[in-house]
Amino acid sequence: MTHHPTSKHFKANVAGALRDQDLRQAMGGAGGGLAAKRAVARAGMPEFDATRDAGKAIKNHTLGHLDLYLERYEAAAKASGAVIHWAETAEEAREIIAGICRDAAAEKDGKAVVNKGKSMVSEEIGLNAALEAEGHTVVETDLGEYIIQLRGETPSHIIAPAIHVTKAQVETDFREAHTHLDPERPFPDPASLVREARLVLRQKYFEADVGITGANMLIAETGQSVIVTNEGNGDLTQSLPKTHIVLASIEKVVPTLEDASTILRLLARSATGQETTVYTTFSSGPRRREDPDGPEAYHVVLLDNGRTEMLGGEFAEMLRCIRCGACMNHCPVYKTVGGHSYGWVYPGPMGSVLTPALIGVGQAGHLPNASTFCGRCQAVCPMHIPLPKLMRRWRIQEYEQRLAPAFNRRALGLWSYFARRPKLYHLGARWGMWAFKLWCGSKGALSRLPLAGGWTKHRDMPAPQGGTFQAQWAAAQKAEGASR
Amino acid sequence: MSTADSADARSRVLAKLRKAVAASGMPGATDAPETRGAAVAGRLAERAQGGPIPTFGRLEEREKVDRFTDQLGKLSATYSRLPSLQALPYALAEALRERNLPASIRMGEDPDFAALSFEALDVSVGPGRVEEPATLSRAVGAIAETGQLILLSGPRNPVTLTFLGDAHFILLRASEIEAGYEGAWARLRRMKADPRTVNLVAGPSRTADIGQQLELGAHGPVSLHVFLVDDV
Repeated sequence: MTHHPTSKHFKANVAGALRDQDLRQAMGGAGGGLAAKRAVARAGMPEFDATRDAGKAIKNHTLGHLDLYLERYEAAAKASGAVIHWAETAEEAREIIAGICRDAAAEKDGKAVVNKGKSMVSEEIGLNAALEAEGHTVVETDLGEYIIQLRGETPSHIIAPAIHVTKAQVETDFREAHTHLDPERPFPDPASLVREARLVLRQKYFEADVGITGANMLIAETGQSVIVTNEGNGDLTQSLPKTHIVLASIEKVVPTLEDASTILRLLARSATGQETTVYTTFSSGPRRREDPDGPEAYHVVLLDNGRTEMLGGEFAEMLRCIRCGACMNHCPVYKTVGGHSYGWVYPGPMGSVLTPALIGVGQAGHLPNASTFCGRCQAVCPMHIPLPKLMRRWRIQEYEQRLAPAFNRRALGLWSYFARRPKLYHLGARWGMWAFKLWCGSKGALSRLPLAGGWTKHRDMPAPQGGTFQAQWAAAQKAEGASR
Repeated sequence: MSTADSADARSRVLAKLRKAVAASGMPGATDAPETRGAAVAGRLAERAQGGPIPTFGRLEEREKVDRFTDQLGKLSATYSRLPSLQALPYALAEALRERNLPASIRMGEDPDFAALSFEALDVSVGPGRVEEPATLSRAVGAIAETGQLILLSGPRNPVTLTFLGDAHFILLRASEIEAGYEGAWARLRRMKADPRTVNLVAGPSRTADIGQQLELGAHGPVSLHVFLVDDV
């Protein structure tokens, strides 16, 4: 699925999302469960908050020496037989991977069957569409990714890509896609759907020429790439085909296995409330000489795609992100509008900071505005990323670059004119109140108010009572002074 | 993409990155080159603790074993204790029968397994195959903190056995259980093993991708059973 960003149309996306009954059903309680599970997992490890501090320190240290750690990682990985590729842009990464796929299928017609484990970076670079355009066949193997691939959709959550899909919709999709099976077969429960996907995908693992996975971490000490999964698809994807490609962005490197332990203690707890995922896999190089299984070639594509700009600018702290999804699980906006409303690959609070950095604030300026600044995202972030502060920086950039809508800009300009002239402001507030009261008439309330139809549809707007806040405050101060 | 292009991309990225690091405001970013180099070399050589080790990652002796078996339960895995390795063939045959599985098992070339006589079972040796009903692996250790078993790929333990079996059986010696991740890394370094994959396995595979309901047996095994040789 290619990602032509629709972030510019955030408002329209949201309007559509709020009308979508299937989405409302799928998202009802979505995230809530994960948030509660995280709370339990956090309570279960008294050292959790200290571990977060340590995790932040590890990431900051690594980012402060990222050039050196990447060189050390590269050397260690090469020593175990890895082929390392560097890609500055998404396009370069796509070309490198397409080239490896062509070579892997050279004995056939150059068209490879490519299995994929879940990788958000591959979504970021629009890998599937690029490979399909060259005639390769791409099979997503993570169950959630498989479902959205069948539906021609993009992920709506970074760890639960099909969170927006109901069980009934999956049933329809499977009946349409798996036409070789009995059309009358029953699907009494989710388990029956899981079983069917398992059987269909099992065969595909053996047909693949190439397996592509992402990486949750790269370890500089050992040259290993690490993936964490619950399904085991990432392991079958990398163990059965002849070629394994790891696609990782450059900020994924950590110094040592000891540092990896700290990240692992935070990741699953923050993501799903698990103490650990079922599978944590450390891979290095191709199969060894005496091995009976495993890939014969192991490639790692190290992708920059905007990370260096972030590191040298105002958004360096975002590079600590370990993609746990806790911020979206706790976000009132995300839980209401769903991931697709954000219009690109990364949704929720982390997406609202990351997306403008990757596709430009001109495209994604709405996203950092789609926040109530309630601060829960920052409160639960295992890496202490100040997400509201970073969103505010994007709002400032958006305003300074004159990208905000003219109406918003004029309204803000008008307000700031008065805000900087207190006397005028107070006078205006008094007159405004007086005029509003007059407008309400004897009823003392308005049943319709221009620009606030959504509000007055359900209740009346009452007329202001008493003086302005400033006037009441001054009066109270005076009274207090008199009584003393 | 030619090698030249790739080398070029490498120098382009690293050149940009050095400038970005210097401007990042991150700790150590603007130190003298020798200081930065020494900081990295030191960290990789000393492998200092990355953060606090939780209390349950520091347990000893029996407590460690108890924590591990408790974790297995939480992970929907099962276990049984064996007095010695010699008890494995009988226990395995029993376990297969209990699960209504055929009396056959796929395993690697582990010398401890090779020395046993699995008379009642149809034993085959080699990597995993599609729809393998039952596979047997040998863990080189385990982590009590999480309930993870440590499996190293190679002829002794083909990695596909861990993912293609419907029912996965794993042999572990209780004396090889480490309290936390840190102990596991120390064990692996002592072993000087260099496998293609180190697999930490915590229970049977699972997914919640359909209707957010947890189901066991996604792509990997539907069940996981540990034979724990009680040598502590």
